[in-house]
Amino acid sequence: MSARSAQLLQRLETLEQMPTIPVVLAPLLRYLEQPLDTLEVQQVVDLISQDKSLAAQCLHLANSPLYGRWQNVDSIRSAVVALGLQRMRDIAVSCSVLRLVPGKGQLNPTVFWEHSLGCALVSRQFARRIGADAAKAYLAGLLHDIGIAAELSVIPAEFQQAYELSQSQGIPLHEAEMTMLGFTHCDAGKIVAEHWRLTPDLIAVAGCHHNPASADGSRALVALVSLSDLLCRMCGLGHGYIEERQVNFLEELGFALLLKECPSLQGFDWARFTFELEAYMEEVHRLVSILYRAPQ
Amino acid sequence: MTTVASSLMETSSRPPGPPSPHLVKIRDLVYQVAGIFQPDNKLRLFEDRCSKRMKVLGVTSLADYYDCLTTKPIRQAELVSLLNEITIGETCFFRNQPQLDALRNVVFPRIVEARASLALRHLRIWSAGCSTGEEPYTLSIVLLEELGGRLKGWTFEIIATDLNERSVANAKQGVYGAYSTRNLTPYYKQKYFSPCGNDLKVNPEVKTHINFSRVNLLDDVRMAFLKGFDLVMCCNVLIYFDVISKRRVIQHFYNNLLAHGYLFLGHSESLYGVSEDFRLVHLPSATAYVKAEKRQVMR
Repeated sequence: MSARSAQLLQRLETLEQMPTIPVVLAPLLRYLEQPLDTLEVQQVVDLISQDKSLAAQCLHLANSPLYGRWQNVDSIRSAVVALGLQRMRDIAVSCSVLRLVPGKGQLNPTVFWEHSLGCALVSRQFARRIGADAAKAYLAGLLHDIGIAAELSVIPAEFQQAYELSQSQGIPLHEAEMTMLGFTHCDAGKIVAEHWRLTPDLIAVAGCHHNPASADGSRALVALVSLSDLLCRMCGLGHGYIEERQVNFLEELGFALLLKECPSLQGFDWARFTFELEAYMEEVHRLVSILYRAPQ
Repeated sequence: MTTVASSLMETSSRPPGPPSPHLVKIRDLVYQVAGIFQPDNKLRLFEDRCSKRMKVLGVTSLADYYDCLTTKPIRQAELVSLLNEITIGETCFFRNQPQLDALRNVVFPRIVEARASLALRHLRIWSAGCSTGEEPYTLSIVLLEELGGRLKGWTFEIIATDLNERSVANAKQGVYGAYSTRNLTPYYKQKYFSPCGNDLKVNPEVKTHINFSRVNLLDDVRMAFLKGFDLVMCCNVLIYFDVISKRRVIQHFYNNLLAHGYLFLGHSESLYGVSEDFRLVHLPSATAYVKAEKRQVMR
């Protein structure tokens, strides 16, 4: 690694300009980690309601068919009751992540939001299909690109150069980052994930989703998110530009790794899964456009 | 909390209620039997199309209509009628823009690269099931544009076939009304069409690259003579075939295509469970099939 790359990474490690996550999120997540039978709905409602804009954003997601709700819920309490604590956790974390990208960057923050939310939903659906942990997959999909949020906040000018290269050549962002910066958003993501003391599997996803074989553990989860990420990018839910290439999922490294742990992947219908994504895209675009306009 | 209330009003415009489980069953049946998928965001439209058929049959519930598509003696005929409803109005110029973009930006460059070893700078394309000609004419226009750029110095020919004699005759005429030409930009209209009454007539420059004829895709002898293609487009045709016929046609396509060849199907159309001869590949916002690496299928 060049001296410049090492210097940039060092700047990332300080994370000084990184937007912070809502203060209520940490206590909320801690509370929801307790045994289910000890949890009280009112406690969760109170925690979310402390942050009015977070509560407003949560209600938008809670009313989306993508989160399993078809009739309007108009209060956090009815959302928690209708959707359950697990889904409310997904929703609260999603809304929190959406705040991480600075609004003033060159990369339109809605693009980052759409990709992260899309990847979370696709990872969740993929996990359900092949019998993996859907809740974990959602969280991992949502957080896989936090490295980009860090780069946008801490080294915006340098990131911009890499982003422009990826756009102009239609190549994957991590390849352009490697050329321009000497490292990728995976390296940045690992720093953030460790700094936030995320669980080891989420650190592995943020740090290794472009090279699942390099993960020390949780390779199946990393592989699952890497495939979901790639599918989103090929289906128009990418980083705001078109990657001009051809992908055969059966030849992806992530596929071979995931197949080892999920034999049901062998006969997976990639065509149907891709067609199903069409419905996701429309809803993700709609949700993010509403959330982006909602107060933060 | 007025913000929540006002922003919730926007959310309430979405379709109310989950889709009927019977509708989902019909969607899955159509995918299983025909290979064409209706995603969740198109289910209301799909329900409208089922309703049209239900009216014709005098059936009042989706559950009964599902029976019509599965157990009743009319099931074969009814599936065809429903498929006609699903694909109605799809024939027009530049019907599937992401597919055309993928062809231009990814597929043609790859074909050119694969053909680099061959002396002949010539592309052979087959529009199998060309209906009234909009698809082959669109391909011809796209390729003519490319000849001025990435395909400079190349030539091309398009074989356009359909089972229906009348469709082929209309295609040869090359005269189209407003509905077919709705996606054409003024640039294309002016450059490649001439006014013909209220309609538009395709210019000879576009036509000259296309050879129209009537072909039954199940005619083994005729199919065996169609060789050396770089690309086969077969949109909304295989959905009408039973699985045995589908496999026969797919095996022909395998032999009709060069090693680097591509097979494109219609939007949301899949070969899942039909053939191992081809592998699905993802292109930007489109899918296609390439030949699986194996020995040439012998017939």
